[in-house]
Amino acid sequence: MLSNFSYIRPKSLREAVKQLSSDGARLCAGGTDLLGCLRDRVFDIKKLVSISGLKDLHGIKRTPDGGLRIGALTTVTEVAESALVQQEYPALTQAALEVASPQLRNQGTIGGNLCQKPRCWYYRGEFHCLRKGGDRCFAAAGENQFHCILGGGPCYIVHPSDTAPALVAYEAVVRVTGPKGVRTVAVEHFHVLPSVDVHKETVLEPGEIVTDVILPPAKGLRSSYRKVRARASWDFALVGMALALRFNGDVVTRVRAVLSGAAPVPWRSKEIEDTVIGQRLDDEVISKAAVASMIAAQPLKHNGYKTILFRGMVEEELTAIRKA
Amino acid sequence: MKKDEKDEVYYAQMVPVPETPLPAVAPEPWGKTRVIGRPLPRVDAYERVSGHAEYASDMVFPDMLYGVILRCPYPNAVVKDVDTRQAVKMTGVRAVITGESKEADVLWPWSPDVKAKLFDPRCRFEGEAVAAVAAETPYQAWDATRAVKVKYDILPFVSDERKALEAGAPQVHKAGNKVKTDKYARGDVVKGFSDADVVLEQTYRNGCEIQTPMEVHGCVAKWDGDSLTIWESTQGVFAVQAQVAQVLRMPLSKVRIIDHYVGGGFGSKVRAGKYTIVAALLAKKTARPVKLFLSREETYLAVGNRPPGFMKLKAGVKKDGTLMALEFTGVGASGAYPAGGAALLDWQVRDLYACPNVRTETTDVYINAGPARPFRAPGHPQCSWALEQMLDALASAIGMDPVELRLKNVPAYSQGRAGNPPYTTTGLKECLEKGAEAFGWKEARKKISEAPKTGHVRRGVGAASCLWFAGGGGPPSTVIVKLFSDGSANLNMGASDIGTGTKTVMAMVVSEELGVKPELLQIENADTGTTQYATPSGGSKTVPTESPAVRAAALSVKRQLFEMAAADLQVPLVDLELNGEEIVSVKDSTKKIKVTDVTGLKKRGVLVGVGYRGPNPQNRAVNPFAAQFCEVEVNMKTGEVKVLRFVGTNDSGRVMDRLTFDNQVFGGITMGIGFGMTEERVLDRGQTGKMVNRNWHDYKLPTALDVPVDMLSIPVELVDTEANTTGAKGLGEPVMIPTAAAVANAVFHATGVRVTETPMSPMRLVRLFAEKKA
Repeated sequence: MLSNFSYIRPKSLREAVKQLSSDGARLCAGGTDLLGCLRDRVFDIKKLVSISGLKDLHGIKRTPDGGLRIGALTTVTEVAESALVQQEYPALTQAALEVASPQLRNQGTIGGNLCQKPRCWYYRGEFHCLRKGGDRCFAAAGENQFHCILGGGPCYIVHPSDTAPALVAYEAVVRVTGPKGVRTVAVEHFHVLPSVDVHKETVLEPGEIVTDVILPPAKGLRSSYRKVRARASWDFALVGMALALRFNGDVVTRVRAVLSGAAPVPWRSKEIEDTVIGQRLDDEVISKAAVASMIAAQPLKHNGYKTILFRGMVEEELTAIRKA
Repeated sequence: MKKDEKDEVYYAQMVPVPETPLPAVAPEPWGKTRVIGRPLPRVDAYERVSGHAEYASDMVFPDMLYGVILRCPYPNAVVKDVDTRQAVKMTGVRAVITGESKEADVLWPWSPDVKAKLFDPRCRFEGEAVAAVAAETPYQAWDATRAVKVKYDILPFVSDERKALEAGAPQVHKAGNKVKTDKYARGDVVKGFSDADVVLEQTYRNGCEIQTPMEVHGCVAKWDGDSLTIWESTQGVFAVQAQVAQVLRMPLSKVRIIDHYVGGGFGSKVRAGKYTIVAALLAKKTARPVKLFLSREETYLAVGNRPPGFMKLKAGVKKDGTLMALEFTGVGASGAYPAGGAALLDWQVRDLYACPNVRTETTDVYINAGPARPFRAPGHPQCSWALEQMLDALASAIGMDPVELRLKNVPAYSQGRAGNPPYTTTGLKECLEKGAEAFGWKEARKKISEAPKTGHVRRGVGAASCLWFAGGGGPPSTVIVKLFSDGSANLNMGASDIGTGTKTVMAMVVSEELGVKPELLQIENADTGTTQYATPSGGSKTVPTESPAVRAAALSVKRQLFEMAAADLQVPLVDLELNGEEIVSVKDSTKKIKVTDVTGLKKRGVLVGVGYRGPNPQNRAVNPFAAQFCEVEVNMKTGEVKVLRFVGTNDSGRVMDRLTFDNQVFGGITMGIGFGMTEERVLDRGQTGKMVNRNWHDYKLPTALDVPVDMLSIPVELVDTEANTTGAKGLGEPVMIPTAAAVANAVFHATGVRVTETPMSPMRLVRLFAEKKA
């Protein structure tokens, strides 16, 4: 069923990086996505490097500046249930709660949630598509009801993560350790558009491991995450949005609006942000922002509904956060 | 005086052997029951929950091989060459069979009239069997299957039932894409429409729904000389036996099918699969038992579905609510072979509401997709999706309450059947009335109409009703009940318990008649080697078919027991009644004997009663009826629909076990929500014709969060002394027929938008809301 591979469970991060640097090696954290990919023969592996032995990558801690550090191996359930997260990063709590199903949240990790492979049914199915090394994106002219309306081409996936948009809204960064040492990447710049490289979803280089997610302090931010889906559990977003706003009185002084279900990466909607920044969030501004959110949209044959749905959801969410 | 033990043994042989029940003696209907109707937990709950229950999937033999079928990856193709050279050499591989193999030279009956080679080089749907492998482990078998190299000529395909009959559509079969057209007419629809005050016309479509039972399809096949035993996950062991015997040209006596537990089927397991035959052939070739269970993905492609349907309904009504005419055309797709693609699609239009002028036309078409199999009330949820929304629209148009409109048109007899036989009982009126009352229908409608329509989250309520074409059951069934000398008993029946609680209900019947506690009953069922012929469990007919046979068998035992007790007590047989564990004379209560003290029983060690299912009443229709009511909350901005509550009322005759009854209602509503709101097979119609959502994530079955916590089941328990000797009618199917339409009607009530295509997803709804605004 699966190709033959070796299994290694390193005791140190350094060893993990070394093992992961070899040809055909893949990292396994919670494994919920990796196993599916292997079973569906999305890719073959030669070596599976489990990082479950790296205890340092686990847990949620305050940072000295009042932010949070979430170890990459922290489960999505632990993120969802963390009181620290709930108090100051409610959008992340909501996003974590919207992920998959309870079983998958218990097993899946925050690092894995950021690094997961797309759910495109052509990519996961018996189709030798562009992203798998083929010469054609089947979604472009096929059954593309769940595909992207922004940032697409030559491949039209949507990024499946719920937590990533929330993290982008909070301006979180990930810390990455690799053969060349440690670096940090803003979550906003962590994912890769297909027009840049159709064969990868993140900026990770071979051998690199996400070790932590670091959230800056969020005092005084109003934030939320909303997800609309075809089924109430175990489903990815049709459309979704993370919001993080700061108000001075009624006036918006800082805004991040990040869409899920829209694009191959968590999609920061500059159109929404530009419309509401410096404004009172009255009905007119909200309505303008909703329209603006979809101005750049380029729907495919079967996903035109997303533009309507996004406008409705953006209106609803901006109204809700105004009242919050 | 205690006799010598030896005497017991010898004298027992002198006891006369009883005959089976007296002909033409119908048992009296039950009056007040002791056990029947109570909420009794499943008799096999422990086995099922603890994992002790042995499903076909659990069967393991020490020398067992694993089989895998190589399937055609294209919706329409011709196999040009199958190269197994690499596969046969692989580690663990014990057999590879293809269309060229001598042992695979058998014909597969797609229908009574259409047969094709088991490995037919002409593959008309994605998932058609091309070859098969048996190996020491399932992994080796899968790897070897992948190593078989097949050359295909890929042909153009048709995926959409609406395009199948268009000129130039790729032909699934040489004779064209039409399987057949059925027509029905009564009265004069033209006159009916001209006499009507309001005439509406609407098209409707339902997506293709897949059964997806928890236990996948498959079997373990084992030969012993020329005898074949198959443990098959099935709804009917005798149906599988007959089909295997036919295909392999074997006598029934040499084919034994066993399946004591089955993890669901919903109609998709009422017959054998190609996998059954393939497993038997692989087992024969290797002289080893072979286990062949499908992957989840294969079950989406090759073992049945509820066909996609496209329907047009025109209806005329008087202002006072009198239905004047109904005209229905429906197209359903069998898939690649004849499989009842339009079966019963028009039945409710013909039979559910009183209407003098009706014309229907249903057409079954071929498409290049997996053949249909019966799916919980074939044709009915589709027809209900059209008819019940139309009734709702008519009510709106004439300004009448939709429940009132239905009540106005309750038929007294079956209009759709020749000779117009009356129903033994019809609870349609009671279902509607009791349901509306329990739901608070009028109040809920009033409250919603009076609420300001300012917010973007709107509430609505909807109702729909139904009947189910079958559900009366009928012969044949032969059941054996054995009473042992210690008062415990054995029930031997051929029928399967497909998860509905058949065993529990039948145990209750035995308990009712013989006083044996259900936990002291050994139940032996669904084994062609040890039980008697029964039809598959399907059609909501198992309880009304089997329970009278079980009752007859128990009564036969009871009569023998009473004859013996009468001899012991020296009282007339007719004076005796069972009181707990004792047989007592009604005339003299001092004349009594414990069942276990009855001399004849002690001597013989066992009393054997055989029961047969008697004939159904002549010139009567036996049908269950139902109504459902629901409340929804709709987000006008996002198209999200939350189902807040459901009430289901069912006239299924006598309630046998209140727990299994309610289980069916809740399960049916859940499945109906899936049919109406989340589920649909998606084919890559414009490119490859392949199914893209062949897994439990992309094919969206409803989850616990998609169904309301607030579900209420209300039995409408009409006394039916005509239907059969237990008065029970079927329940398993009517419970899901009206669900989707009830939700659609509630969505209309909330939003003023008619959703005529399934599934009612946010994707569809936001589009419809936007169109309405524009």
